[in-house]
Amino acid sequence: MDENVIKVENLVKYFDGRCVLDGINLNVPRGCIYGLLGRNGSGKTTIIRILLGLEPPTRGQTFLLDAESSELSAKLHSRIGYVAEGHNLIQNYRVGRLIKLCKDLSLQWNDEFFKHLIETFRLPADRRVKELSIGMRAQLNLALAMAIDPELLIFDDPTLGLDTVARRQFLELAIDLIQQQGRTILFCSHILSDVERIADKIGILAAGKLVVDCPLEQLKERVKKLRVIFPESAPQNLYLTEIINQQIDGREMVITVANWNKQKQTVLETFKPSSCTEIPMSLEDIFIECTNPNPVSITG
Amino acid sequence: MFALIKREIQDHIVYFIGAAAFAAIFILISIPVVGRYESIKRQGYDYRTPEFTVGIGVPVVAIVIIGICAMGATQMYLDRTRKISALLSTLAVSRSRILLARIITGILAILTLLVPLTIAAVTLLRLYVSPVLMYPGMVFEIFIAVFLMAFACYCIGLQTGWNSGKIIPTLGGIALTCIFVPLLFIKGFGLHIVVILVLFIIASLLRTWHTFMTTSL
Repeated sequence: MDENVIKVENLVKYFDGRCVLDGINLNVPRGCIYGLLGRNGSGKTTIIRILLGLEPPTRGQTFLLDAESSELSAKLHSRIGYVAEGHNLIQNYRVGRLIKLCKDLSLQWNDEFFKHLIETFRLPADRRVKELSIGMRAQLNLALAMAIDPELLIFDDPTLGLDTVARRQFLELAIDLIQQQGRTILFCSHILSDVERIADKIGILAAGKLVVDCPLEQLKERVKKLRVIFPESAPQNLYLTEIINQQIDGREMVITVANWNKQKQTVLETFKPSSCTEIPMSLEDIFIECTNPNPVSITG
Repeated sequence: MFALIKREIQDHIVYFIGAAAFAAIFILISIPVVGRYESIKRQGYDYRTPEFTVGIGVPVVAIVIIGICAMGATQMYLDRTRKISALLSTLAVSRSRILLARIITGILAILTLLVPLTIAAVTLLRLYVSPVLMYPGMVFEIFIAVFLMAFACYCIGLQTGWNSGKIIPTLGGIALTCIFVPLLFIKGFGLHIVVILVLFIIASLLRTWHTFMTTSL
């Protein structure tokens, strides 16, 4: 059995002649929590929908749990929990009816855990789904996804619409799940602090390509933001490759470089800077730098 | 599968109630009409199909056919707009099962209409002398032809409902229905009509299945 629970090979997707995904390759190993990031419209949801077989790809192949996405059996679906962006729940159903339907259609159902979630979230069974707030809908979707004890969880912006307390509850639940061995999570979110808190591996989509695909720690080591002060005016060209961003202001240069290594450091030192200090970068800073119009590829 | 069929029935219960009510009304109207034919015949008058039966028959057929066609269209349209299959197919359910459950529900609705009518027809034929010349197996032939006709119209509805366009598919569906229904009157209830309808149903279901399996949900 393949150790990669999620495999994406050369995935291309066009919408009305517009290229949304341009040759994406991605592997998520078993037990990994993969944070997939990207700006609005970068194709995160499209990748997830193609993975789940909800959307046909233009080219390329995707696999979930060793099966091609277009041929996912009901049995395999029962091992996958999915929380959709905007929460694809049947709006005119009462919560109780929706729960019963999902329960009847599931091959396994952890009733005890589900009840615990429903009580935690205080979801009313007698109200219609459309009458629930966005946050409550997110909680219901989450509880339904968790109740099947999934081996693979796919979260598409799951905390969208949740208040701070509910978001914290969700993250703690996710961390709880992570501790259960062998569980894999693909996590898309705009709240980068959430991703930073739980993800082991990060992928960043920009301009239809996966420009970052490496472990979080490695990403933080490899993307460096430096403030370099030169004795005289800063040179216009440092002859460094993979510069993500560069700002010059007199003697000062602030530079962000991908795949930072000793060789690049040596090149920088040939310009004899007066000082060179590293500016600490959060995931959010890295994300902003990596999604600029000319992204540099960082893969690990 | 049972849960899927149950969901479909609950969501489209109005069609089942409509079918049952329609069958009941039709049976209630038929009993005195058949009784009247009987009395006309007993009095020795020459029997002819009264004009009012055609006057009633045409709108009745139209209502039934439109209703059945509308059921298929509603099932698919509501699925698309409410993203029902998008949710169901992320559970332990395949798309083919969702569609199969939908079609079974459609068949059940048609049977809800036709079975009571057939039972009533058989019973009335045992009680009274038939106003038309009957041959063995005629009721069965009529039942099969009418069922296939209704199912063909339901299949047209399924295709119309899944289409993102509104005017052209609806007009196309109505046009196809208008072609099919007179076919029953032209060809009668024999093997010819059964073959034509079965071929149409197979083609229509294959098209619906292919569209439903490959489209984005």
